[in-house]
Amino acid sequence: MVVFLISLILLCPLAAFTVFGLLGLGNRSFQRQDYLSTAAMLIALVCSFLLLGEIAPDPEPHTVNWISLGGVTFSMGFYLDSVTAIMLIVVTLVSSLVHIFSMGYMHGDPRYPRFFAYLSLFSFSMLFLVVSDNLLGIYIGWELVGLCSYLLIGFWFEKNSAADACKKAFLTTRVGDVGMFIGMMMLFTKFKTLSLYGEGGIFALVASLNTGDMVWLSIAGVLIFCGAIGKSAQVPLHTWLPDAMEGPTPVSALIHAATMVAAGVYLTARMFPILTETSSLVIAYIGGITALIAATIAIVRFDIKRVLAYSTISQLGYMMLGIGAGSYVAGLFHLTTHAFFKALLFLGSGSVIHAFHAMHAHAHDDENDHAHDTHGHEHDDHALVHDHGSEIPPDQDMRNMGGLRHKMPITFVTMLIATLSISGVPFVFSGFWSKDAILGGVLGRAMEWNSVHHYLLFGIALCAAGITAFYMFRLIFMTFFGEPRNQEMHDMAHESPKSMTVPLLILAVLSLPVVNILWFNENYVQPPEQPHLHAPQHAYASPDSKMDEARGTLSLFGVSEAVAAEESGHDTHGAHADDGHHGHGPAHTIAMVLSICAAGLGIFLSWLFYHKRTLSAESVATTFRPLYNLFWHKYYFDEFYDGVLVALTVWKARLFAQFDGTVVDGIVNGVGKVTRDFLAVFIGVFDNRVVDGAVNRVAEVTWAIGGRVRRIQTGAIQTYLFVVIAGIVLLILIFRAL
Amino acid sequence: MTLQHYLVISAILFTLGIFAVLTRRNAISILMGIELILNSCNLNFAAFSRFMTPPEDISGQIIAIFGIVLAAAEAAVFLAIILAIYREFGSIRPNEVDTLKG
Repeated sequence: MVVFLISLILLCPLAAFTVFGLLGLGNRSFQRQDYLSTAAMLIALVCSFLLLGEIAPDPEPHTVNWISLGGVTFSMGFYLDSVTAIMLIVVTLVSSLVHIFSMGYMHGDPRYPRFFAYLSLFSFSMLFLVVSDNLLGIYIGWELVGLCSYLLIGFWFEKNSAADACKKAFLTTRVGDVGMFIGMMMLFTKFKTLSLYGEGGIFALVASLNTGDMVWLSIAGVLIFCGAIGKSAQVPLHTWLPDAMEGPTPVSALIHAATMVAAGVYLTARMFPILTETSSLVIAYIGGITALIAATIAIVRFDIKRVLAYSTISQLGYMMLGIGAGSYVAGLFHLTTHAFFKALLFLGSGSVIHAFHAMHAHAHDDENDHAHDTHGHEHDDHALVHDHGSEIPPDQDMRNMGGLRHKMPITFVTMLIATLSISGVPFVFSGFWSKDAILGGVLGRAMEWNSVHHYLLFGIALCAAGITAFYMFRLIFMTFFGEPRNQEMHDMAHESPKSMTVPLLILAVLSLPVVNILWFNENYVQPPEQPHLHAPQHAYASPDSKMDEARGTLSLFGVSEAVAAEESGHDTHGAHADDGHHGHGPAHTIAMVLSICAAGLGIFLSWLFYHKRTLSAESVATTFRPLYNLFWHKYYFDEFYDGVLVALTVWKARLFAQFDGTVVDGIVNGVGKVTRDFLAVFIGVFDNRVVDGAVNRVAEVTWAIGGRVRRIQTGAIQTYLFVVIAGIVLLILIFRAL
Repeated sequence: MTLQHYLVISAILFTLGIFAVLTRRNAISILMGIELILNSCNLNFAAFSRFMTPPEDISGQIIAIFGIVLAAAEAAVFLAIILAIYREFGSIRPNEVDTLKG
């Protein structure tokens, strides 16, 4: 049953894509591809829900042998545990909603069927990645989603910016994938298998490693995490994700917010058992730094989609931080809640862009005037904007928005719910619970291990949380509140059609703590053991009794404690349980209070700056000009890559070109010259004299013989007859003589 | 009259025929030579049949008669060919009809 359902989940989207591929051969696409793809996703969604009830308490992988090479056999298969099941629901649900949304958003696009076919292919790849039980399958899915991301970012490839962005995304993630592949090969050379689960799987074998292998294992873990750095847009490979916003907005919602970028987090969570202290710390630090850097960059962006893109990077950093700090459940919990509210934010921004875009198409004639207006406006309001500002398309520029809450009430309300959720407004929004679970997890580990690193990481995460609340409300205030900044665009804006608002409403419901049910049940998701993660020697240990207290706090509003309790509950039957996670109880309360304060402060400041306008963003920006420039230029990552890596590559290419031009060409030309001037002369003489001579002599001899012999052929019949008779007479004489 | 007499006459006829065929420059004369050769053969058939087989077996004589008929038919075809050659080349001398000469 499990295998059947999973196969159905995988095959439906694949079949939808194949139909497009086969019919596309005739150079005419299937015009109702949208219904086909959406139906396939809905079937997969139903199957995913059915799978929830099929999870075995101690799941076994379902595998078949795939390739045998010498003594090594690669297998392919499915592994279904509670995390897989939840991921399947998240992917199929968001994908289905995005399909429905796209019917409205992409309506009238010349490549409308192709868009849905790509979405189907992406869904298949992502689901394949999720259910694979081995690293090879995960890697195949991993590269396939990368390809789909490339195709969909570059969907409007007529635009140069989109064409550049898809190449950038593909190449940047490739850098991480190389690391991931090396990490896989390290595990493979050691264990001779890529399967993760079961008796001969990597996780079973890792547990038997001794302490001498820890350095090696840490390196392997960090290398595999490199793949996640690329795919989940972590610092320093995060630069592709903001550019990926050149793709259609539903794509940003599905691939670059909810699912594909979360694949890195999923992979890291899958590899949880092989993480050591060092690799965990590396993951936590990269996650934390990413969360902070991306949040600060988001403050100063004006493109509504870029703000959301940096917000996504920041939240992904959060998840990484959670997993790196050992909060497996919290990291994945945040992945789930983030998938829903971030998809909602992107689809909401898509709705806003759609409203403006229709206008934009109408007012195409006076686009030039329009651009001029925008520019002048920008000049007044934000004197510090030097460049980049002109790159923002007018329909995505928040400086053209404002006061939209009356025009687009549904979009406004749903986006507000998502914003409250991501900002961590307490109790009735899902984002609060998941973010708080991570913060509590990090602080818990810090207190339990008495570790400076984790205290520092907690501080970083708390800052990032406050900044997140600030820039998200900045987005809301600039877009939906205040006076319209661009009256002409404002007048034409309108609420989106039903196919777009209905997915928004569904996602808004999902941004409330309904998804928490899955994570409430402490028996449902259990973090795997980490055999090689030990608390440092000086770790502070507390009596076991506190654990029960922590468990006792399970209540509707106490999910974070529930999550903590679940983790500690699990660890009590782990081998290294004695160093326990009992700090979680107080840690979570402290973290919750602090995070509410941070979120409140962020929202309050945002309100002062962008709604009440008692504080001026411009004057603050002028005061902290160097800091503002740093944020505005995105910490100069792109400039660094352009100036160093690209320049280095170009320089190297020039060097090689020069080498090619002088040395290689020189050798080739020299050989050519020698051949022509010396060898060819000899060979030419030989050819003329010997070969031609022989041929000509044969011809001449034949000619001469022919000239003689032809005289026999006189044509006089009597001569012939005479010869015949003479011959007969001769024969008679000879026979007589005999 | 013995067989030898007939054979001698036949040999003389044959030789005269060969001589005519080899030496004459006129196609009609060559035809006449060929007729002589044919008739020498017929004479041989009849002579051998008369002297070498039982009297009731006359197959040699019959072959001779067939030979005469054959000669008549052959002469008709030959003359027709000569006529055609004369129309084509304006001559009936074989050494002037040498279009196929190599």
